[in-house]
Amino acid sequence: MCPAVKHKNKDAFPDKAPAPRKTKFQADLAPSEDSMVRVLKAELQLTSNTDFLSDAVALFHWAVAERKRGHRIVSESSAGERRTLVFPRLERVAPQVNLPQVEIRWTDKELESLAGLVSGQPAEPTKTLARAMRR
Amino acid sequence: MAVIVRRLEEFDEVEGFDCGDEPLNNYLRHHAWTNQQKISIGVTYVAVDESAPRIVLGYFTLATSSVPRDRLPKKYVRGLPPYDLPLILLARLAVDKRFSGRGLGHALISEALKITLHVAGEVGCRCVVTDAYRDKAGWYARYGFIPLEEAEKPSTLKMFLDVRTIRRAIDLS
Repeated sequence: MCPAVKHKNKDAFPDKAPAPRKTKFQADLAPSEDSMVRVLKAELQLTSNTDFLSDAVALFHWAVAERKRGHRIVSESSAGERRTLVFPRLERVAPQVNLPQVEIRWTDKELESLAGLVSGQPAEPTKTLARAMRR
Repeated sequence: MAVIVRRLEEFDEVEGFDCGDEPLNNYLRHHAWTNQQKISIGVTYVAVDESAPRIVLGYFTLATSSVPRDRLPKKYVRGLPPYDLPLILLARLAVDKRFSGRGLGHALISEALKITLHVAGEVGCRCVVTDAYRDKAGWYARYGFIPLEEAEKPSTLKMFLDVRTIRRAIDLS
């Protein structure tokens, strides 16, 4: 039989590690989005925003993982008609695994120029490039 | 017009595409899908309008490549790691002339560079290289592409953009 041990100072010997701190998530929704969330919550029989967000994140997480593998996300009707999900943000994660490899023909002059640029300090981005990279 | 950039799909309407350059039209109409899906030598991304999502308004094609280390001049090799140099080739970029002047080229190159950064993060790549028509070199230069030393080919010019420069641009944006 294992004797029960009672610590006088509980702070010095905590029974278990503290629960990880939860992050608050707040979003400003347009009225149409708010009503969409309400409808979805009702359809999915979700009562709390936390559960709703948790399910939405799980679904998004799955979609991102599928596109990262190069898989397409397709819905199929009972008649067999297929529709592919096109979601621009997901497309950004898709291509990295399967961009094909090609050979480029280089002249000696081009290679010299390329090597010089690669081994030097990178150029500062132009304003147009900075604009293009805005998220 | 709400533009989406996504991968080329089999049933996209490419026959009517006209950027004013026959080799670029021909590539999209006859080779892009085959090259992407069957022989895997380039992935094509298309710009479409949300309201007509099959009609291609513009496109670009990407592939990866590398420069064998032993082909680089010796005086530079010392400063580089002992590997081949991985890079992304922006093989083609074109906009249908009926839709030019609406920022489609900017949307396309923006997406191409975002994909480049993603690839750099996932599998590694050092720079983007494109073979630009000489009369378009100024347009690429606005995005920071630097011309490589002139080669014999009179019509095009290889241009270079460092991935580190693209990363810095993210910090500035």
